Amino acid sequence: MNLIISALKKDDLYGKKIIENMQKNINDVEIIYAEDMNIKGCIGCNCCWLVTPGVCTIKDDYEKLLIKILQSKQVIFITDLKLGFVSYKLKNMIDRLLPLATMNLHFKNGQMRHYLRYKKHYKMGLIYKGNGNQEFLEKWFERVMINFDGTSLGTYNIENEEEILDELIND
Amino acid sequence: MNLLMISCTPRMKEKSNTDKILDEFKKGYESNGNTTETFYLYKRNEWEIIRKKFYENDNILFALPLYVECIPGIMAEFLESLKPKEKSNTKIGFLLQGGFGEASQLRCCESYLETLPSLLGCEYNGTLLKGDMFAVSLMDGKVRKQMVEPFYHMGKYYAQNNYFNKEVVNDFAKPEYFPKKTIFLYNVLSPLQKLFFQVFAKKLGCKGSINDKPYQNYLNDIPS
Repeated sequence: MNLIISALKKDDLYGKKIIENMQKNINDVEIIYAEDMNIKGCIGCNCCWLVTPGVCTIKDDYEKLLIKILQSKQVIFITDLKLGFVSYKLKNMIDRLLPLATMNLHFKNGQMRHYLRYKKHYKMGLIYKGNGNQEFLEKWFERVMINFDGTSLGTYNIENEEEILDELIND
Repeated sequence: MNLLMISCTPRMKEKSNTDKILDEFKKGYESNGNTTETFYLYKRNEWEIIRKKFYENDNILFALPLYVECIPGIMAEFLESLKPKEKSNTKIGFLLQGGFGEASQLRCCESYLETLPSLLGCEYNGTLLKGDMFAVSLMDGKVRKQMVEPFYHMGKYYAQNNYFNKEVVNDFAKPEYFPKKTIFLYNVLSPLQKLFFQVFAKKLGCKGSINDKPYQNYLNDIPS
């Protein structure tokens, strides 16, 4: 299954268009809207690493999200940019992925990393709407994926529809 | 001079590494007769006051922990609720701390923080960054004091210079990367480290293994 997680409003025209396009071009798509989910911010309690390993203390819709991500072949996040960064709704979702990692540490490519909890190669991409520095967003998302021992499928401006269809979807 | 300090960690003060660092920084900042005022984003019912303080003050420090390579969600949410200042001389500095030991782990977030003040109609006053801060709130007594004390001096430094100079920060934050020897040794001693975390987790009330896979079943039935 290919998972699309959109933090844009459901009636956002750009969002609607790109999602329609993806539905046409990718088999087996599932869409989650942040609007329909209650995902609170990570409170940094470390319980998912040290007290109830793999399980978050905050009981909201994060579990549904985590399970969907574990089940999917690839994940594509869609968000608007605020102050040149992803919206807090999207950042909250990404911060809440920490149960996918464990407390244990090792070095990989010269930097310290957490061992991952599940044997899975995560593949995720990011589509953003609004003004931002592509180079920074690309770097940020690549580093996000390094933390989950996965691969970034890249970051794309929602207006570059062709690029999204050629590069992100054909991968 | 007066400095408005806004703590952007979602953790409450008692458990926060950022706040213990900030407390020490504050002491240094105030040591020469300067004043500070501190607010905490985890107290959500105070956001209206904090916004007001943000608009009123022209010397501001945001203190934050690194969350997945950038600012924590709670800080992003607060920033989204601000209107950019108009014609202000406001200066914003940042104090960024993280769990991993290397300064290089904080650079991605730093590069974002460099761009942030101008988007809020303010000027950038530099970022003080430091890794290896995971255990600050778990330690007490001498060990904790040792970990946070350098921030006293940086508080003093910031009061005098009103800017975090990059060279000074780089020196403060080193190592940028760990030497190959350290990395080799760490990986060799990895089983010991795992054991240490497992014992530590047990103390905190963990009943299983810290490598438990509670959602493993969902992984096994991936439809093609």
